[in-house]
Amino acid sequence: MGINVIKLVFLKELKDIFRDKKTIFMSLIIPLLIFPLLFLVLGGSMDKSMKQVEENLTVAIVDSGNSSLSQFLHNQETIKLVESTDVEADIKSGKILVALEVPTDFDEGIKTEKPVDLVLLYDNASQSSQMAFSAVSGIVDAYSKAVIEQRLLTRDISGDLLTPVVIDARTTEKEEEGFGKFMLSLMLPLMLVIFSISGPMGVAVDLGAGEKERGTLEPVLTTQAGRLSLLWGKFFAITVMGLLSTIASLLGLLFSMRQEGGLFQGSAVSIEPVTLVLIGLVTLLLTMFFGALELSISIYARSFKEAQTYISPLMMISFIPTYATYMLDAKNIETYYFHIPLANVSCILKEFLAGIYNFTHIGITFVWIIIYIFAAVLFARYMFSKEEVIFRT
Amino acid sequence: MIEIKELSKSFKKTLAVDGISFSVAKGEIVGLVGENGAGKTTTLRMLATMLKPSSGTAAVNGYDIQRQPSQVRGEIGILFGGEVGLYDRLTGRENISYFAELNGMTKAETASSINELVNLLDMQEYIDRRVGKFSRGMKQKVAVARSIVHNPSVMLFDEPTAGLDVSAARIVQDFILHCKEEKKAIIFSSHSMSEVEKLCDRIVMIHKGKIVEQGTVAELKAKYRNDNLEDVFVQLVGESNGN
Repeated sequence: MGINVIKLVFLKELKDIFRDKKTIFMSLIIPLLIFPLLFLVLGGSMDKSMKQVEENLTVAIVDSGNSSLSQFLHNQETIKLVESTDVEADIKSGKILVALEVPTDFDEGIKTEKPVDLVLLYDNASQSSQMAFSAVSGIVDAYSKAVIEQRLLTRDISGDLLTPVVIDARTTEKEEEGFGKFMLSLMLPLMLVIFSISGPMGVAVDLGAGEKERGTLEPVLTTQAGRLSLLWGKFFAITVMGLLSTIASLLGLLFSMRQEGGLFQGSAVSIEPVTLVLIGLVTLLLTMFFGALELSISIYARSFKEAQTYISPLMMISFIPTYATYMLDAKNIETYYFHIPLANVSCILKEFLAGIYNFTHIGITFVWIIIYIFAAVLFARYMFSKEEVIFRT
Repeated sequence: MIEIKELSKSFKKTLAVDGISFSVAKGEIVGLVGENGAGKTTTLRMLATMLKPSSGTAAVNGYDIQRQPSQVRGEIGILFGGEVGLYDRLTGRENISYFAELNGMTKAETASSINELVNLLDMQEYIDRRVGKFSRGMKQKVAVARSIVHNPSVMLFDEPTAGLDVSAARIVQDFILHCKEEKKAIIFSSHSMSEVEKLCDRIVMIHKGKIVEQGTVAELKAKYRNDNLEDVFVQLVGESNGN
């Protein structure tokens, strides 16, 4: 009887959900599209602002002595020299990106081999100005190097003297994978926790508070079916939908990483099947935990709106431990992190992505997750059995 | 049949139902009359085992509402007023069969029972369409069919005609009389005295959780020498408030 009723409720809820275009759109279509779109726009705008600076490197030179440095800059094709009477105002307004103030005794100083002070003025609140700043400093550095070489040459010394060691940087990850892997270890744990909260949310609200609001809960309660069977049926339906939603988001993330011209510049990251299975398992369990918790809150609420109001803080609170571990390096996470709710999930995902399988950490984390789920389901059970909750209208 | 013995229910400090007792025989319609908040819905919810009594109990067709809630629910059909409580994205047939199967009926039993009800209530045209776009009257028929699909022996109606137009209310009233013909024990709560007078064999008047009077329509009219039951009710409620 129990199992049949659970199955009946489960299948009915899924049928109901899949016929709801709004829910399908919100929990499957949008997650699928959000990352490709976001990263395409983000990557595109970064590219664009970089190109803009490259093509339009406006620099003003304040140089009454017409120094050799000014001549050097004049000959650089990458910069565009602009006349300016008030450099500070022009930088602020964006008319020029940086201004170089060359002292009158510049050439004199170079000739007598005394250090010369240059002023390079830029707007540290503007990204374009900062980019221009480093471009111009590079040019000045190049000029400076040329001067040094000239000085050494006159003393009959080789320029090699200045570079005793040359670094040949090699990477353990394939060069094109490194950036992607780094981004993934930062983002994926965070994203998976967020998906596990947001994935089951819409459906949980609908199956609890939604039933109350539409007046369908009471008739269901008058049937022979036990309340617990109803709870389990709903819980499994929520888990399935939450998981589908997470998968949709992950697929979107995967597409966006392969995207040419996106933020990841099409860098391919290969994840081993074992890692993928483990990540999938953690996500499933976390979705079950949040699904049960959200269903408990939802059944307590009087309406959709109230349920959403109650569930939003849950999201905010969950962000804290997750963001706290956001920047941790997978290679040296201390064990106590694995006792902090959600921080442990985020950390274990980081380790998996880095290819670290620390059985103590895995053990601790899984035991905790199982405890969370157990507690959340018990809580949901308690809520479903309370008259004050079910008839709170 | 239904036998209610000293049934009470308190919510925190308020006593919603205070030791009421009455019984309903097979094929009998008993009207439960009272103001809003008098305890009508709470009584019906206890009979339907959705709420647990604070004290006292009731038997539905021999099953005790405290000890055998699942069997009790199998014996009762409920029709509430206000929201019909149907799933908009399911068809009429799917709505009804969900409830039939939740009540433990097999697929074959469900199918034949629904076909019978579709003919009875004349729903052939729209039964396989989604409920969301139905008119109020069509929804009402689906809700009516849902309440009786598992062939219960007891029917509980909680202000079933509240907010209905004349023709939709007629559907419900005809259905209540149909249930009587099928020898079901029926409780019908309402605050429309004329409707109660039209349908009920016996009337139970409750006020602030207590029964203030009960009897057949004729008995009450004779006892209070008043042909207008509404006057009788107002008088009783006034006396009860005075105490």
